[in-house]
Amino acid sequence: MAEGPSKDPSAAWRELVSQWEKNINALANQNMASDEFSSGSNQAMNLALRIQQGMASGMATYLATLNLPSRADITALGERLQAMEAYLSRIAVALEEPARGKSRTRGAPKRSRPPRTKQPPAPLP
Amino acid sequence: MSATLGEAPKLQSSIAEQVQSEIERAIRRNIKGLEYVASPAPAVGMTPKDVIYKRGTLNLYHYLPMADEIYRVPILIVMATSNRGYILDLAPGQSFVEFLLRSGYDVYLIDWSPPSPDERRLRFEDYTLDFIPECVRRVRKDSGVKDLTLMGYCMGGVLSVIYVALHPKTQPKNLVCFTTPIDFRAMELFAKWSDRRYFEVDRLVDTTGNVPAELIFTGFEMLRPASRLAGQVTLWENLGNDEFVKSYRMFERWSNDTLPLAGEYFRQTVKDLLWENSLYKGELTIGGKRADLRNITAPILHVVAEHDHIVPHAAARPLIEQVGSAEKEEIMLKGGHISLVAGANAQRRLWPRLDAWLGVRSI
Repeated sequence: MAEGPSKDPSAAWRELVSQWEKNINALANQNMASDEFSSGSNQAMNLALRIQQGMASGMATYLATLNLPSRADITALGERLQAMEAYLSRIAVALEEPARGKSRTRGAPKRSRPPRTKQPPAPLP
Repeated sequence: MSATLGEAPKLQSSIAEQVQSEIERAIRRNIKGLEYVASPAPAVGMTPKDVIYKRGTLNLYHYLPMADEIYRVPILIVMATSNRGYILDLAPGQSFVEFLLRSGYDVYLIDWSPPSPDERRLRFEDYTLDFIPECVRRVRKDSGVKDLTLMGYCMGGVLSVIYVALHPKTQPKNLVCFTTPIDFRAMELFAKWSDRRYFEVDRLVDTTGNVPAELIFTGFEMLRPASRLAGQVTLWENLGNDEFVKSYRMFERWSNDTLPLAGEYFRQTVKDLLWENSLYKGELTIGGKRADLRNITAPILHVVAEHDHIVPHAAARPLIEQVGSAEKEEIMLKGGHISLVAGANAQRRLWPRLDAWLGVRSI
């Protein structure tokens, strides 16, 4: 005996949302796969990038006139600082390593690991 | 006729009960809704681990074993460059990493931080000839085992296969890929949006340095523009279900946590992979060497998702077709790009299948 339509309003609502989602996604994907969409969206992005480039270049000239550092200058300084910090940490690690080795031999427990002896479970008959 | 008359009060009472139940649900939903807004996001990525190596954008974790004995061969997971690795370690009981640990694997993971401005120059060469080889070396040293299983998710899979193709003499013991695209022309919408006639990738990278996370996030969102709103409607309906809400929030947090991409790496992805489709054609050259997939001879498992809207099967299928491995297998499982590896679907489908394939190859 065939079951009648569900009386649960929540189930009907869920089905409706699911269908709506599928339909909108399918329609949007169809439109976004067109040359027009690709051309239009990229034109908009290129315009925004051109404005950003123009602003950055104009601002850099302005800041240089005022004898102030630009964002690029600060970023470059930050990069150099980071490189120096990384170099210092490597030196610190190299200096600390022998001391750490000594303390380990003095009895500091090394974290133990389980043995690598595990075998896969036998296949079911 | 008398039966019909008798059913009328029953029908009325049933409708009244339904209305009452809906009102109660609505009230509960509103209370839970307030809790949702007021409570912090659930903690993720909590499985205990050591950071055994860190260099700029690169983090190499070693998860603390959870079994009394472990398989001889450790696993090194390479996460996708556009997203955080905690999708593989969501919460206790829902964590892929925890599952692997409890099943007796020794797990290492390469996770990515947002690249700093000076890392905008990172290229495929850095990822596949420096980062991954260095991590492989460190895993071998840390575990004391020469063999390892290399496991990559999405672009992490692409980097893994390029790495193996470029180092044919030091094959991993096993190679496992999840939803790894090879034929980038088959990712139709991405290919269309980055059409070389309209998409000025040089201008983008030269202007922004690293490609902003918002742009990457929008690209993923546009593949299914209605899904976010539909997800929120479903959340509203399930606000009374604590487990659903927790899971929703974890996935929501992860998908919003998209990473920026290193500028040069993005430029190469667009020009070499999307425009020239060079990995598929066997023409991708990295550091003067050709990344030929036929160089891959390790046993390989590729798991793909039936409803993957980011990496459709047509884009992923050529991996198994092209590798030179004698032992190779592709498994298609129900689910999407993310639900393949995380959540209830993954727990039920992927994790046990993977364990069955990998366990016997990890001794």
